Amino acid sequence: MTALLETRGVWQRFGGLVANSDVSISVGRGEIVGLIGPNGAGKSTLFNLIAGVLPPTQGSIWFDGEDVTNLPAAVRCQRGVGRTFQVVKSFETMTVIDNVIVGALVRNTVMREARRKAHEVLEFTGLAARADVLASDLVPAEKRRLEVARALATEPKLLLLDEVLTGLTPTEAQTGVALVRKVRDAGITVLMVEHVMEIVMPLVDRAIVLDLGKVLVEGKPADVVRDPKVIKAYLGDRHAVGA
Amino acid sequence: MDQAFAARRRRDLIIAAVLAGLAALAPLVIKDVYVQNILILTLMYAALSQSWNILSGYCGQISLGHALYFGIGAYTTELLFTKFGVLPWFGMLAGGVIAAIIAMGLGYPFFRLRGHYFVIATIVIAEIGLLLFQNWEWAGAAMGITVPVRGDSWLKFQFMRSKLPYFYFALVLCCLAWFVTWWLEDSKWGFWWRAVKDNPEAAESLGVVVFNSKMGAAAVSAFLVAIGGAFYAQFLAYIDPESVMGFQFSLLMALPAVLGGIGTLWGPVLGAAILIPMTELTRSYIGGSGRGVDLIVYGALIVAISLALPRGLVSLFSRSKAKGATR
Repeated sequence: MTALLETRGVWQRFGGLVANSDVSISVGRGEIVGLIGPNGAGKSTLFNLIAGVLPPTQGSIWFDGEDVTNLPAAVRCQRGVGRTFQVVKSFETMTVIDNVIVGALVRNTVMREARRKAHEVLEFTGLAARADVLASDLVPAEKRRLEVARALATEPKLLLLDEVLTGLTPTEAQTGVALVRKVRDAGITVLMVEHVMEIVMPLVDRAIVLDLGKVLVEGKPADVVRDPKVIKAYLGDRHAVGA
Repeated sequence: MDQAFAARRRRDLIIAAVLAGLAALAPLVIKDVYVQNILILTLMYAALSQSWNILSGYCGQISLGHALYFGIGAYTTELLFTKFGVLPWFGMLAGGVIAAIIAMGLGYPFFRLRGHYFVIATIVIAEIGLLLFQNWEWAGAAMGITVPVRGDSWLKFQFMRSKLPYFYFALVLCCLAWFVTWWLEDSKWGFWWRAVKDNPEAAESLGVVVFNSKMGAAAVSAFLVAIGGAFYAQFLAYIDPESVMGFQFSLLMALPAVLGGIGTLWGPVLGAAILIPMTELTRSYIGGSGRGVDLIVYGALIVAISLALPRGLVSLFSRSKAKGATR
């Protein structure tokens, strides 16, 4: 079976800055893949390219066997790409349930169906008790969870998680990890950008390390963390030699 | 949870029906033509503000140029009537359709603008519309159009002897605008609009085509406002550019919603019920010398509202409800 997501030789330039250079990655169905790398490695840019926020300067993006390079974000969502945002973007004047209904409307045109689906997702993500609260009244951990819930309501094949576990307390992060596993068990492929190594490494099946806009290493988490190139990228030459 | 939601929807509908019923009976008690006149204007502005609220309140695209659509409704109706003998009812619909098309045509470039830039564009476009009509000879230019008197009839939607038919039409229009809003509130479009207002980028990531949503809101909003314009033209029986397309109409559509609660179901009606009688009364008490005093009143009200109740008067009701819910 072909990969669910593939980027083929993707470049992204912002003026003179090259954010992604010749990035080719693939994500198989049912995998949890971690996209990691130091600050400024081009992770968020690659995420935005995959989600369709902007088209790549060069290269193509394939999703579910089709070239989606030129499709806008809304259409990619309809095709099955769900995403969360690094800086949460809740619909602040709407209640939690209404936030999720917006997502559910992609596949449910009848309001009653959309509402039922939204309740189901809130149940799944553990937000059911907060359904009628305004999104602006949620605590940060709940807001991140709402981002995930909203994206799940669109019934994606691929879920892009942009630092959903960052900035959480250890307990909150563990609940988050459990949720990501649950999502994968529900048959949804996950590509996640994450900073917190000790949380993300045990969780993912495969890790892709970006550095300076290029793919540096990719492989099993245990191998990736020992790779001298990765240690060098994060900590500098001295430590790489020491390792 | 869902039952509570459905119950609230039903409650809104019942309150609206009761209010509409009471309003329909009002002329039995209120015989004074001057007061009837105020009631008609109040209902009309409630309907207009409700329509404005669809684009600017729910979808968050603040327009201060809706006078353009109001004027288009008025002019389409009267031009078709005086030049081609088309009945005002058809003119009204034609005006609505033309206004909706123009709204989308303008939306095509202007919905790329955000925030203040969009507001400025709407003001400028409405002013250009006003200038065009002031100089358009065929449409009567600055002299305007006098609607020929053909005797009282529902067919020609013209009444000289009594204002009551206008009153009932305004009531129906107000109910229509309210009902459309009520219906849209729990529809795909309603959710999309609120999502677009709160965060367009997130909306887009959830499959909402932001641009199309704005176009839809603009079309519905402009259509209903143009119907109001057609009504107003028949009601006055005389139109000129300033009296149907002046900037004050854009303000008078926005203010009731802002006062009552922007982006809420009841805000525009509540706001109009307070604002319109108040301005009409101040205007008549102060008389000819006080032109502009009503504007001072608007200004003072808006300042007071934005300081004390930024979410409008309806938040008084929802606040007490929220307290009750959380104990």
